[in-house]
Amino acid sequence: MGAVVDRDATGLDLPSVPDFARMRRDCGVRLRSGMAEAGIDALVLLGNSNVSYATGATWPLSDAGRANIERPVAVVLADDDTPHLFTPFFPAAADELGLDDDHLHGPTYLDIDEGVESFAATLTGLIPGLATVAIDDITGAMHQRHELLFADWPPRAASEVMGTARLTKTPDELACLRHSLWITEQAMAAVQERLQPGARQVDLTATFLHRVFELGAEANVLDPIWQVMPDHQADLPWTTHGDIACPLLSSERELAKGDVLWVDAGISYGGYHSDFGRTWVVGDEPSARQQAQYERWSEINTAVLSVMRAGVPASDLTAAAMEVCDGERPWMAHFYLGHGLGLDSAEVPYVGTDLGDSYDHRQIMTAGTVLMIEPIVWDEGHSGYRSENMIVVTDDGCVDLSDYSYAPYGN
Amino acid sequence: MWAAMEAHDLDVLVMGRMANMRYASGVPILWNAGTRPFGPGCVAVRATRDIYLLSTWDEGVPDDIPHDHLYGITWNPMNYVKVLQGIDARPKRVGTDAMSPLFAQLLPMAFPEAAIVDGGPALSQARRIKTNEEVDAIRAAIIVAETSMAAAVADLRSGVSERQLAGVFMDAMASAGVTTPLTQDVARIVSTRGSTAGEPVRAEDLVAFHAGVVANGYAGEVGRTWPVELNGKTAAVTELYRRSDLLWAALLDACTPGAPASAVLQAYRTAGEPIPTLPIGRGLGLGYDDPVIVAALPTTAATERLDPGVVVVLTASVHDDAVGSVITHDPVLITADGPEVLSHAPRWNPQNAGAPA
Repeated sequence: MGAVVDRDATGLDLPSVPDFARMRRDCGVRLRSGMAEAGIDALVLLGNSNVSYATGATWPLSDAGRANIERPVAVVLADDDTPHLFTPFFPAAADELGLDDDHLHGPTYLDIDEGVESFAATLTGLIPGLATVAIDDITGAMHQRHELLFADWPPRAASEVMGTARLTKTPDELACLRHSLWITEQAMAAVQERLQPGARQVDLTATFLHRVFELGAEANVLDPIWQVMPDHQADLPWTTHGDIACPLLSSERELAKGDVLWVDAGISYGGYHSDFGRTWVVGDEPSARQQAQYERWSEINTAVLSVMRAGVPASDLTAAAMEVCDGERPWMAHFYLGHGLGLDSAEVPYVGTDLGDSYDHRQIMTAGTVLMIEPIVWDEGHSGYRSENMIVVTDDGCVDLSDYSYAPYGN
Repeated sequence: MWAAMEAHDLDVLVMGRMANMRYASGVPILWNAGTRPFGPGCVAVRATRDIYLLSTWDEGVPDDIPHDHLYGITWNPMNYVKVLQGIDARPKRVGTDAMSPLFAQLLPMAFPEAAIVDGGPALSQARRIKTNEEVDAIRAAIIVAETSMAAAVADLRSGVSERQLAGVFMDAMASAGVTTPLTQDVARIVSTRGSTAGEPVRAEDLVAFHAGVVANGYAGEVGRTWPVELNGKTAAVTELYRRSDLLWAALLDACTPGAPASAVLQAYRTAGEPIPTLPIGRGLGLGYDDPVIVAALPTTAATERLDPGVVVVLTASVHDDAVGSVITHDPVLITADGPEVLSHAPRWNPQNAGAPA
């Protein structure tokens, strides 16, 4: 996996190098204890991140158009410490996952009738007929032949177990996330150094991708965003809700002096995703007005972090942010004030979504949860400011894992 | 797509798969790596030929999808039910490309009078034969994949790591204006010692390059295996490449218009090469298309036809225990006159040794 940088100034007592075998074991224990609690005998997992959580298998993720077909599948049995993995990716690597021949299977093709029939035959050998099965994704072909796969229709949702297990991270998971972010921030420094008028958005992507892979990234997970934010919302595309349009795709657009760039990117390491967000100004210093936007953003960020700790409901976080903004919500209407991060770029918990205050009130922060906090300040007529930071919730507060300057706005 | 919906008697198609959303809407959608959980991302209504799309803004949305056919991101699944209920189609049969346990409950709520069925066969039928415009888009993507792979191959030397080579590939791809890879497993040591993450390439290694990009929604894919240096294994390495070339010729011969896809499996047998576990043929288009040709699905391979307009990536994989593997991937368009090879990347042979680029 390459050398992992030791920068444990977090006080979280994280291992300098993640112990992948221990991580796999710890995650497996959580999963099976959740299954016991929920009365689920078997989990059938098709989603890439769920398969990684259940088996420890990681691979360079492919384009979604491909990943939804060419994908590993995991089967976790409540009474078996070792998961079953059906994989198209380099079976040799399975040695490292502690899988014996009984638990390592060839690839499945669950979008094809013949593939479903063959998988069902294998599954029948693993799971007794009346077992309670939970699953995360059902292909059209699986739906059509569901009686081969499930005793009951619809089957139970794997999210009942996965959400809770994945919510709080083990020290090894946190070490992966920290290293993933470190790679991202190193690469971003190289991009920001070369940021100048005339550069195309795709040139920034080229520099970023080159550097993250050199530094040991397993995969890029998001087409990097370098959105030029205009002064006026009217110069952004039309939206369904009347709020600003973001994130917009990068192109060969050349950047000009003074362009305000909202930057967003993420990679994976050991399966764990990073998330990075900053605002830059191309070839220029921010104006006094823009500087004030950043000051306001810092106030909101500080207000949220000051109430963050295990035990508080998500609604306390949104309330803290809104109090700074005279009751307005300082985040985009189609997103959130914050979201969880782990094997997915955005995962539970979500804070401040359109699920509403009562949902936020029921979501209690837990120690070991990783959150991205991403308020925005939109200053109509003068563009706006957005940054995001990766924090770990602790019993008495939180720890900010991000270690990247706010230049050119602040340090 | 409308013809396929007609043929499969589908009144409405609800699509959650990225490739299908790209196909039905023609809209560039933000690229994330990996699978996405199911949600109704795009809805097609046969009677009115209306497309409804999950998109909070109209950037890149063609005029034939008006603003009132766009619906925004929401975290409350019941909002999707309302969107679907608002589509006044009163369908009898609704196809989906996938669902989650939650949507297995919600889709019947959204369409109470309809049978919910597998929309996959209709979408496969629509997508498997490419139009000329689609083939042009695939050709354009292949060019970017090949030039970017050439940049990585040019950097192949003793001491470089697999991920450094991936970085060179990604840099070249993005510099060419395409920021979205199809696959990210760009370079892999395929010598007998195998791939060990992070360990640099050695002089005696064989390295398999697998280049894939998605440009304007369409995928281009190509692969080559290169020796780093020959280092005393000339005869054995040359022999493995000779077997690779013979197998490739046999695979191409199998691609006569109208032939069953199983002819590609048969080509391995004809060439005397063991058939690998992984697919040796897969449709190219929006990510991973039909046909999928793999030994584990013999009935499927016998049923699928290589009809004119099918674009398939053929994998020639040969192995020698003492040397390792030589793996190539080549996109081929089936035409009425026979197969047209869409890739132009050079292959290693003893004459061009050491000059891969």
